[in-house]
Amino acid sequence: MTNTKADLLQGTLDMLILKALSLGPLHGYGVIQRIRRMSDEMLTVEQGALYPALYRIELKGWVSAKWGNNETGRRAKFYKLTRAGQKQLRIEEESWDRLALVVAKMREAT
Amino acid sequence: MKWFNVLMARFRALRRRDDVLNEIDEELRAHIDMETEANRELGMTPDEAHRSAAKSFGNLGSMKDLAYEVKGGGFLETLWQDLRYSGRLLVKYPGFTLIAVLTLALGIGANTAIFSIVNAVLLRPFPYHAPEQLVTLGEFVPRGSVSYPNFVDWRAQSTLFDSTSAVRGNESYNFTGAGEPERLQGRLVSAGFFSLLGVNPLLGRDFVADDDRPGANPTVILSHAFWSRRFGNDPGIVGKQITLNNQSYTVIGVAPQSFQYGLDADVSIPIGLTAERFKARGSDPGISVVARIKPGVSQQQAQTETDMIYARMEQQFPATNTGRRAYLMSLHETFVGDVRQPLLILLGSVGLVLLIACANVANLLLVRASTRKREMSVRVALGANRSRVIRQLLTESFLLAIIGAALGILLAYWGTSFIANQLPNSVPRLAEANVDLRVLVFTLAISLLTGLLFGLAPALQASRLNLTEALKEGDRGSSGVRQRLRSLLVISEVALTLTLLVGAGLLIQSFRRVLQVDPGFNADNLLTMQVSVNNPDGQQIAAFFSQLQENVRKLPGVKAVAISNGLPLVTANHPTFFIEGRPRPEPGKEPGAIRYTVSPDYFQAMGIELLRGRVFTAHDTPNTPLAVVIDEALAQHFQNEDPIGKRISQSSSGTPSYDIVGVVRHVEQYNLDEQEKTPQFYLDFNQIPAERLPGLTRRINLLTRTDVEPLSLTSAVRGEIAALNKDQAVFNVRTMDQIVAQSVAPRRFSMMLLAVFAVVALALASIGIYGMMSYAVAQRTREIGLRMTLGAQTGNVLRLVIGHGMKLALAGVAVGVVASLALTRTMKNLLFGISATDPLTFAGIALLLALVALLACWIPARRATKVDPLVALRYE
Repeated sequence: MTNTKADLLQGTLDMLILKALSLGPLHGYGVIQRIRRMSDEMLTVEQGALYPALYRIELKGWVSAKWGNNETGRRAKFYKLTRAGQKQLRIEEESWDRLALVVAKMREAT
Repeated sequence: MKWFNVLMARFRALRRRDDVLNEIDEELRAHIDMETEANRELGMTPDEAHRSAAKSFGNLGSMKDLAYEVKGGGFLETLWQDLRYSGRLLVKYPGFTLIAVLTLALGIGANTAIFSIVNAVLLRPFPYHAPEQLVTLGEFVPRGSVSYPNFVDWRAQSTLFDSTSAVRGNESYNFTGAGEPERLQGRLVSAGFFSLLGVNPLLGRDFVADDDRPGANPTVILSHAFWSRRFGNDPGIVGKQITLNNQSYTVIGVAPQSFQYGLDADVSIPIGLTAERFKARGSDPGISVVARIKPGVSQQQAQTETDMIYARMEQQFPATNTGRRAYLMSLHETFVGDVRQPLLILLGSVGLVLLIACANVANLLLVRASTRKREMSVRVALGANRSRVIRQLLTESFLLAIIGAALGILLAYWGTSFIANQLPNSVPRLAEANVDLRVLVFTLAISLLTGLLFGLAPALQASRLNLTEALKEGDRGSSGVRQRLRSLLVISEVALTLTLLVGAGLLIQSFRRVLQVDPGFNADNLLTMQVSVNNPDGQQIAAFFSQLQENVRKLPGVKAVAISNGLPLVTANHPTFFIEGRPRPEPGKEPGAIRYTVSPDYFQAMGIELLRGRVFTAHDTPNTPLAVVIDEALAQHFQNEDPIGKRISQSSSGTPSYDIVGVVRHVEQYNLDEQEKTPQFYLDFNQIPAERLPGLTRRINLLTRTDVEPLSLTSAVRGEIAALNKDQAVFNVRTMDQIVAQSVAPRRFSMMLLAVFAVVALALASIGIYGMMSYAVAQRTREIGLRMTLGAQTGNVLRLVIGHGMKLALAGVAVGVVASLALTRTMKNLLFGISATDPLTFAGIALLLALVALLACWIPARRATKVDPLVALRYE
């Protein structure tokens, strides 16, 4: 799903999208660009993964969607993080941190 | 509630499918456009920019599908597709749909109706507070009557009950002084009766201890029905006076509308007011006792304490209490214990009917599955996986079951009230039977189960197909699996039907035998009615009744007139008796007898045969020796001696004693199917001392034997009564035939229902066997044609086809006989005069089923022999 060939778990993708949207409302194309920039060009989320994930997150109520115009005046659908989404992002970041910490400790131990 | 939001979003998406798809499309296109712009900023030509963007995006169509899977109806959409497809199929094959739906509606409807009765009678908790703590007390036997002094002592000594109350239903009162006089049903209760049950009066208060003693100011609590009928729901009724039996009572309360306990009663009155009536410790005055066990105390503990109290009373009052024990029984068991078994048998039987219905529909589906083989193959070839095909087929079954259930509920709605109206009084709470939430849940559950039951096997079977084989046209020989499945269905249908028919057959024969019982009296052309006299003057009462009988006797069409305080199959007194000159039996071992006090013409009017001696005559008066007529059962107590001229008495003191002047035939007092004959004796009404008449004539039956239709004389007889006393209430006008019919009504009820189920089962099973055989013959048309071309005779073909069907039917009969032998044992005590394994019934039913099966096979077999070999060979 990504050009790093890392097998990104669905939950991770959800977190990336939430993180990208936490910087401000954005359309799908922008989400992909923002994730790429935020990951120093290391991660590219593919459209085929992005949209189903966006819709799933929307169904869960973590983001809300609204049609609007982009910087060039084109009509696009903008996604905005909801309060529930902010909470979810914190939960996912924390659990991710915990996991990273555990993995790091395990590696140091060996 | 997240899943609920998701579900709602899916529903919305389902309803605006095109909108959702358009929106996805627009969003994805905007994405490509933005990427195109970005590419152009990198310096590509417009063409190049667009191509690159589109390429990096990938297949727009499959992307849309992917997105739609999340955003669209999802599983709901599959379900919706399946439902629509199933619906189209059902409409396309209306014949199949109609038969399947009607079969299921019949099965599910009958189950719903019976379950709603079971629900109302057995499952619904009684409308009292914490009903599980309520018990009844009965002396000698559970549900027995309790002597009032024993009750009072038991209540004083027991410690494990919160509260207790004596209850005597079936009291009657003449209500006068407020318009038309009316005969009221009454109930005597102890103080705190309503609070014991946890019922708050709608108006006013419950009885307190001060109301419940001799000499208290008479008080009454009205039933809701009586209050609205006679007082127009007057909210100011409390504190007013009403007149009952010429005595003034203060209304202190009104019971709530939903209140019910035992027999219906218009008025409740404290039993302590008339405690004097019940002071004889050795009597059985028809008083029942209800009590609430303290929380945390088991019925067993309460029973142990009660046993101790009764043991003490036995020592204290040996003359009356020797051998007298008392039994606690839960209130629920007391009220519905007797009807549980017949109801559960009915529920089981109707379940069997549903199984047969399922087998029939499964059979239909199997037949149809073979015609849909190509459709299935095409779907599988186009990429549907097996679970998708099974899901589609099961959706069809569920749809059928749900439609059947909807129709069935309508059927049950009507059926339940029909059944409830058949016997309002013989089954407690039957009148409350209706289709409520629990019944609907039950119906939904059985219809889903039904759908699964009849749908699963055909679905699994249909989905398991060999593609190459199935796509080849002309594959007519059905697979062995399907054949076996269908054979199994026929066998189980026959077996189930046999079981039901045997059960119904046994009940029908029991019923016939009950009706054949000689009741000892002649019920034809006999009009009965009850009058209740409230007159303290015995002389006037005697004059009233002798004048009344004389006047009625003169009416045209009247053959004989009599009065009696008891009536076979209705009421009677039940005292002990002592034979003069015999050693006194041990206390508690005195023989009991049924006593009737009758006028001399009673035997003629009732048609009771005189066996020896004489009946009462006009020469028997209060001034001549007291005469008694005994029945043949009492005569047996004299063994080989001639009872005529011997003397009996009703009390151990031996006085007064009665000369036995005649022996008459025994009459059935309690039921036509009673097992043992309780001795009976008759006293002469005309010999009763005048001062005892006011107590005796609270309820007197007037019997009129006619030589015309008895009910046609009702108004004439009523007229004679009114002519003598216009305030005299007359009630319970019935013919003796009606009384007999009423006494066998519960038996008739279960017999009729089971018979209906059995007939439905038989019809379904014959349709099933017939359908199966017709199909088998149609499938073997080619084979049969070939055999006939090769010289087979009509007889050979008939034998071939019928032999196949009968083999299955006989296997079903064998299985059914074994199953019935096991099942009919559970209904042993519903039977009368017939064994639960009556060989004649079993053989007859087996033969009947075999004949029906033979007919069901014979018709298709005949058709097979008419096959033109040439046509058959070409038959594809």
